[in-house]
Amino acid sequence: MSIKAFELVSAIERVKLMSDKAKTQIECMDVCGKNMYIGTSDCFVVHYSIEEKTQPNGRVTFVSEKQGHKYLVVKKPIAQLRAASALNRIMVLCDNTLTLLNMFDLEPIVTGAKIKSVTCFCINDNPVRTNPFSVEICVALKRKLIQLYTVTEDRLMHLRDISLPDQALAVGVDGKFVCAALSSQYCVVDTDNSQFTDLFPIDSDQIKPIIKRISKEEFLLSGPSALGIFATSAGVSQRPPMQWSDGLTSVSYVHPYILAMNDEFITVHSILDQQQKQAIPFQGGVVLGDFDGRIFVASSREIYSLVPIPFEKQIQALLADKRVNEALELAKNANKTGMTRDKFVKMFKRIQQQAAFIEFCQQHFEEAGQLFRDSGIDVREIISLYPHVLPKSINFTRSVPPLHEIADINQLSRSDEKVKAAYKEFLRTFLEDIRGTNLAHGYKREVDVALLKLYAESAPERLCELISVDTGCDLDDCVEWLERHGRLHALGLLYQRHAENDKALAVWTRLADSDSPDPTFPGLEFVVEFLSSLTDHELLWKYVDWVLEKDEELGVRIFTERPASEAQSERLRPETVVDYLHRFPRAVITYLEFLVFQRRLEKEKYHTHLAVLYLEAVLRLMEGNSVKKEELDIARSKLRHMLQMSSLYRVQLILGKAKEKDMHAECAILYGKLEDHDKALRILVHKLKDFGAAENYCQVNSHGKEPGYRKRLFHILLSVYLDPSYERRDTLVAPAMALLNSSVAEFDTVKVLQLLPDSWSVGLLAQFLTRAVRSSMHNSRTTRIQRMMARGENLQVKQTFIELQRDAIVMNDERACAVCNRAFNDPSFVRYPNGVVTHVHCAKNKYICPVSGKLFSAGRTR
Amino acid sequence: MSGKKKADLKVIILGDYAVGKTSLICRYIDGKFQTQEPTVGAAFFLKQWGPYNVAVWDTAGDERYSGLSHFYCRSAGAAILAFDLNNPKTFESLWARFGSILEAANEDCLKIVVGTKVDLLEPEHREITIEEGRKLSRDLNEHIDIRKLPHDPYFETSSLANENVQEVFEYIFQYCLPLSADQKKRHRNQQKSVVDLLENSEEGDKGKKKCC
Repeated sequence: MSIKAFELVSAIERVKLMSDKAKTQIECMDVCGKNMYIGTSDCFVVHYSIEEKTQPNGRVTFVSEKQGHKYLVVKKPIAQLRAASALNRIMVLCDNTLTLLNMFDLEPIVTGAKIKSVTCFCINDNPVRTNPFSVEICVALKRKLIQLYTVTEDRLMHLRDISLPDQALAVGVDGKFVCAALSSQYCVVDTDNSQFTDLFPIDSDQIKPIIKRISKEEFLLSGPSALGIFATSAGVSQRPPMQWSDGLTSVSYVHPYILAMNDEFITVHSILDQQQKQAIPFQGGVVLGDFDGRIFVASSREIYSLVPIPFEKQIQALLADKRVNEALELAKNANKTGMTRDKFVKMFKRIQQQAAFIEFCQQHFEEAGQLFRDSGIDVREIISLYPHVLPKSINFTRSVPPLHEIADINQLSRSDEKVKAAYKEFLRTFLEDIRGTNLAHGYKREVDVALLKLYAESAPERLCELISVDTGCDLDDCVEWLERHGRLHALGLLYQRHAENDKALAVWTRLADSDSPDPTFPGLEFVVEFLSSLTDHELLWKYVDWVLEKDEELGVRIFTERPASEAQSERLRPETVVDYLHRFPRAVITYLEFLVFQRRLEKEKYHTHLAVLYLEAVLRLMEGNSVKKEELDIARSKLRHMLQMSSLYRVQLILGKAKEKDMHAECAILYGKLEDHDKALRILVHKLKDFGAAENYCQVNSHGKEPGYRKRLFHILLSVYLDPSYERRDTLVAPAMALLNSSVAEFDTVKVLQLLPDSWSVGLLAQFLTRAVRSSMHNSRTTRIQRMMARGENLQVKQTFIELQRDAIVMNDERACAVCNRAFNDPSFVRYPNGVVTHVHCAKNKYICPVSGKLFSAGRTR
Repeated sequence: MSGKKKADLKVIILGDYAVGKTSLICRYIDGKFQTQEPTVGAAFFLKQWGPYNVAVWDTAGDERYSGLSHFYCRSAGAAILAFDLNNPKTFESLWARFGSILEAANEDCLKIVVGTKVDLLEPEHREITIEEGRKLSRDLNEHIDIRKLPHDPYFETSSLANENVQEVFEYIFQYCLPLSADQKKRHRNQQKSVVDLLENSEEGDKGKKKCC
């Protein structure tokens, strides 16, 4: 149990009754504004004024003063007493007679209106009639009857009788419904039609029937087995019953608490969960009542008030007991106590936060996280619990008054590493969750720095993502932290993120050089990639040496894989780079290849340089003894490709070296470049005996040149085949024939015929000759067709021309230029095909009519 | 807890002391089984069924609360009459005690006979046959058209093993507050707190087709 929801405060310590006789006892009372009325056992009605004062320290005290008293003569106890302030009357039930007294002087009213043989009565707080100067009451009589009355200043007007199966021991009324306790059961009566609904049975000998109106159309009844049972006027229950103690004498209700009194205790139950919340020892209680939201309780001689402890205090007390759910439940209901919406929200959020920290202390992380989120907590409050996790430069002071009493998680975990890790894990997931949401708004830096620190400790693989994607991490203490945890790659990334490229590179070089690398570091390749897109070229040069010394081929990528959009810079001019790369033979080749083949730079220097380097490579391979043939082939084909593709290098230079080493294939290409085709083809045919290559040579070298050039090349090839001076020319007859019959080769037939040895038979040449004749015929015919078509076109043009010239144009004074609208002064003018006539200088474009903008096709006017 | 929201259906569970009424409800509402203290007076649970609120009232089985049970039965739309399958006395008292209590309920109140603790039942020692249970359930529901029901309102359940518990309640709700297949699906999803994207997209497609 328990909340402390109420505090017992003395209201009138010793009732100074009229007579000081020992038997004078309080029987009943009512409070109405500042007036308190007490009915005694010896037939006095006493009037006090009572005022509630709140001390500066929050304590409530009461100041009372006796106003007067009245003795009602009948010597019977005052059974019931109610004030009706609207009428300035009090209703008094004494000796089974209900009478009215003046509220101030306690004198009986003049008319002497009364109701006799009344056992009890009650006021209808939810009257059917709306006259403010009347009060509706329900009266239970000794007979099996209840009656409804309207009470005015001086009259008691009988409204209706309702007969019951039994005498009513207690009544309650709400609207048109009367709830009555009979000796064996409770029932509800609809006073409009006297319809009677049983509720449930009781044994009135054992249990005092109590009917307490709780809210509109809802009553609270004392039931069997000391249960408090809720019943609506429809005769059903909408709340579960609550367990009271035995021997109850009275019940009161102040939202959200039900108070019940027996001889020894006043117990407080919540209407929200029906559980008992507080028990206040109180011996010999006689009356307990709620009067306009205030609760007074009387023993036989003294009167106390039960002062509600402010919600906040109750909630704080619950929180102090770590009863989070109850506190939140109570807080949720606190807005029914007349707080403004804003104030309530503020209060509620604060309570949620406190609750969250309590859950946090108990390692109920799920609940804590939910509460933190719901309450919109300042994340720094949480982060600040983790030593060193907040950025150093941030001056954060926890909220005052404090939300919790936690020093830090070291205190919470009592240095248990496992627990500590759990706390850190919580912060990590929590921050990840809120990152980018409203909750983190404005605290991006704090959140990201905290995450960085946590990742550095336990989840280095997540650092990269955190740092690279829109991070709020600053350099301040992150650097130190990352260093300490050896997350060097992340540190590099962080530097990069903050454009501190120099420092970033310094970190990465350190990392690449070190023996115990960071597993998240992708290696040298990463640095190269970074350098290749680095725009600060000065800085780049600082690290190039280091990279190239580590790995030439990788390093050269810094130069070859630069972003396409990068502006040219003095520091990265190809000459500079080539000069620099001199020391690194493989790198320089790669770079030159890049310049020549990819950038397609047409500079003799690079081409020659690359060719020479290739050549040198080949030569080196040739000198080496144990070199594989494939390797040499690859090198040579690379060289050949280069020689063939480019025509910018210095041929003579290469040729000299190639000749020296008998590199025939290369020589052939080089001769080709020098247009010394005869020599080239001779090499191909005689030295290499590669006839296919020879043919190919003719095609390649005539590519893009006039048709005659190709014929000439093939002719040269043919003459090489047929060269009578070559000693083994017999072997060349077959390739010569093949060439003649080849579909790709082109020849000037006449020249071929002159060249062919006379000894060859026609049969041998039949195929070639047929083809030659046919193509010659074909040419002749095509040419004729072309000629005729040209003539036809010519005729057409002539016709158009004549048509255009046929119309006469009359030029006179009235004729004005269609453009400038002035007269013609000199004899020359312009006429457009559509008849528009202008000055010569006004005709800007002879294909476009200046007036209509019509376009005359250039072809037709030509 | 909050009885202020007007419930659309009131379901009450009755039965002898310690037959497992509270356990049955707890299994359905909280989805877990735990040992229960004897219920004092009555207890109350609120359950969402599609767009409806259903109030589930748990009563105390102890005989001294009989008078109250009568009161709490008022305006119930459905009643679960629970008995312990291992204890024939509890079955008999359904006839003897609770038949009359239910007079306070709605006239068309659906009465479901539920045997509990089926997990403890050894088939060879069975004292109450399924047929007896079914017969009782049919007899109790003479006032309503039993043909509308998918089968006799008789179930054998185990709160411990979560057997047939969900079925009992859905059987009642579906009879008293019928949901369309669609609503039912949504209700299931709500419970699982899953959003069925497929379902929505299908609807969207249909709409589009109409437009064209």
